Amino acid sequence: MIRLLIKLYRISIAVIILIAGVTFERTGLIELLSDPYEYPVIMELFMQHLYMVTLSMTFATVIGITAGVLLTRKRFRRYAGICMYIIGLGQTIPSLAVLALAMSFLGIGTKPAVFALTIYSILPIARNTLAGITAVPPELIEAGKGMGMPPIKILMEVEIPNAMKVILTGFRVALIINIGTAALAYVIGAGGLGDLIFTGISLMQTDKLLAGAIPVTLLALFADFLSELLGIVLISRGLRLSD
Amino acid sequence: MITYDSVTKIFGTGKDTVTALDNVSFTMPKGEVVVFLGPSGCGKTTTLRLTNRLETLTRGNITIEDQNIMDIDIVQLRQRLGYVIQAIGLFPNKTIAENIAVVPKLLGWDKERISERIDDLLQMNNLEPELYRERYPAELSGGQQQRVGVARGLAADPDILLMDEPFGAIDPINREEIQNEFLKLQANLKKTVAFVSHDIHEAIKMGDRIAIFNKGRLIQYDTPEVILTQPKNKFVADFVGSDRALKVLGLMRVSDVINRKPKNIIQGTDRSQEALNFLDAREFRYGIVIERNRPIGFVTQKSLKYEEGPVRDVVEHYPLFLREKTSLRDVLSFMLMHDAGTFCVVDEDKNFAGTVTYNDIQKAVKESYADEAESGENGVPV
Amino acid sequence: MSTLQFIVDNFNEVMYLSWEHIWIVGVALLIATPIGVILGIIITKHEQFASRVLNGANILMTVPSIALFGLMLPVLAIVNMGLGKVPAVIALILYSQLPIIRNTYTAIKNVPPSLVDAGRGMGMDKWKLLRELEIPLAIPVIIAGLRTAAVMNIGIAAIATYIGAGGLGVYIQQGIARVYPEMILSGAILVSLLAIVVDGGMAILERFATPEGIKVQRKLAR
Repeated sequence: MIRLLIKLYRISIAVIILIAGVTFERTGLIELLSDPYEYPVIMELFMQHLYMVTLSMTFATVIGITAGVLLTRKRFRRYAGICMYIIGLGQTIPSLAVLALAMSFLGIGTKPAVFALTIYSILPIARNTLAGITAVPPELIEAGKGMGMPPIKILMEVEIPNAMKVILTGFRVALIINIGTAALAYVIGAGGLGDLIFTGISLMQTDKLLAGAIPVTLLALFADFLSELLGIVLISRGLRLSD
Repeated sequence: MITYDSVTKIFGTGKDTVTALDNVSFTMPKGEVVVFLGPSGCGKTTTLRLTNRLETLTRGNITIEDQNIMDIDIVQLRQRLGYVIQAIGLFPNKTIAENIAVVPKLLGWDKERISERIDDLLQMNNLEPELYRERYPAELSGGQQQRVGVARGLAADPDILLMDEPFGAIDPINREEIQNEFLKLQANLKKTVAFVSHDIHEAIKMGDRIAIFNKGRLIQYDTPEVILTQPKNKFVADFVGSDRALKVLGLMRVSDVINRKPKNIIQGTDRSQEALNFLDAREFRYGIVIERNRPIGFVTQKSLKYEEGPVRDVVEHYPLFLREKTSLRDVLSFMLMHDAGTFCVVDEDKNFAGTVTYNDIQKAVKESYADEAESGENGVPV
Repeated sequence: MSTLQFIVDNFNEVMYLSWEHIWIVGVALLIATPIGVILGIIITKHEQFASRVLNGANILMTVPSIALFGLMLPVLAIVNMGLGKVPAVIALILYSQLPIIRNTYTAIKNVPPSLVDAGRGMGMDKWKLLRELEIPLAIPVIIAGLRTAAVMNIGIAAIATYIGAGGLGVYIQQGIARVYPEMILSGAILVSLLAIVVDGGMAILERFATPEGIKVQRKLAR
């Protein structure tokens, strides 16, 4: 709870600073935003950005958690090491490179962007799911087995809840990187808030630039905050007590 | 009732094999606590885990109530058996109530029945339901956690309980309390319990029978008395400890040896010289002084010699009185502490019930060794 | 493949851009490390600032890199440094702070207090303790933090091309603009390779810097 409030405090400070900075430029920005021609464009780009993020995160979460869980199952455990190595390698590759590679093979537009974002976001989620479930004390799983819990029940009621904190951290990292990388997707023709930022840079139009940079930043900060809330909802109180 | 028939368990393959259990056979009677006892790696835990198929048999059979465990669906088997391990086994992400409810839920009990059962179990284990239902394991002390563990094992009211060093992680003071509570519980519930322990004291206290393992073999399977008085070989004798005579005393009570009608009783109102004559004539070295059916102390020939008044004025007081349920080991300890050879036994109303002397105790130990020798084999019905 | 051909044909340029890229990251790390480590050490000694500093660095890292560039632009444009290598290096320094500070903090905090006690009992003063006990034990973890920072920086530096910083991102940028697939792939692959090599190199450095005793300790714990 307290950490949440502190985060809120920090976010509001950041927001205030941003707003302060913006006020210096207010002539440009507010005009830009209130321009009946520009505003819907900005909203559309924002929606586009949100669309890419949401779609890719949904795929990434489903695939990532499934992959992570599968690698902890007896049958696939021997592949876990190799897979983790590959995942680690994948995370090393710069986000721009991933986008560029996707473009080289899939063309331009939103589809390759979403593809690249999905792949890039799977990595932290899968790795953390694997690490989190592996870290669940084996005695708990033994106890569950011994009591006659079928493997599915053990997964759903023992392994995943106890791994939730780590899994959620992976999700959070993936989400924040995703939002930032989606801003880059403009360069491969996918639109999004990156459009405003890059155009603003090349045309030296500060108002456009800020119209893109500020929402993206706020989005990322908000996503961070949202993840913390998600933690409170998804992580059993019994586990949070030890914090 | 559980029967182990030529049970063998070998780990590993090829060159690196470990024989954890080698041809173990015995039967656990219904409604009794059998302690699987032995040093680390002796096979006691393996035997337990084979019973609920957490390990697979290499050879042999285990049957529960005449049903081979391999013929029962593995998940159903485990749900039928209560399983209690050390405190870490509680799921930290579930409340106490949710933890206990696991197996009943798997069995499909309805909500009310489960809720009632949770309350009952918590009560049984001295945990107030109102207070503990919604708590999480992290909020409980080690001892409380372990009680919840026992409750969880009993949740579905299984006939058989498998317990793997359940009290091992608790400090000695709480451990004794929990052991006592469990014994009280067992007296009411009469479950068939397989209890793994490495502690001889715990085994003697908790077990109706003890199965001693060493290096995968079952060495001796008997009641605690027999094991203490007739250890089969050096290993058992060593494991039990060289103070086993004292341990046997721990199993006996004052009521087993009490002399209810000692002959050297003197009334407090008797005159000293008469008392002295009485003692002299019967050649008693001392007399027990009673007043209104309550013991008040003792007198010796020496203390009476020059006295004139009533005996009660001369009497020397006993430092303590015994109860019928006091263990003989404690009695011996008192005798040593107070350098006394005799104590009086009283009932709840402090009335005189009898005496216990050092000789009585010595006789009892000797007799218990002799008794068992007469009964022949360590007769255990199979 | 044609991409390989491209790299071979433009080898000099490849070298130059690679060097530019490495330079940016290198300078940033060179400046960021002392700042980060010192800040990390300070907050271990003054707990009250720990959460604030760590949170601040965390927030910094939450801001998407391109957005940070965007935000810095108008501010730095005042001193005419809005574009080019300067904002890039500054952004990299800021981004590196979290991994470096956090790892330094955790590393020093994780030095077993019993050891610190023993050292103090033997008469080591604050500075000696730091120099001879805490920092040597903390180095492997700090290097791990540097490793994270380095890899992250290589990625961000690629983006910095778009604010005129040069580096291997140029191939990606130009490649897209000129619809030159071989160039795009070269850029992507080269920068990925750079990241992987640096990551591997720092992993070796990490192992190299771990005192023998700790390595043995870890092995036995397995």
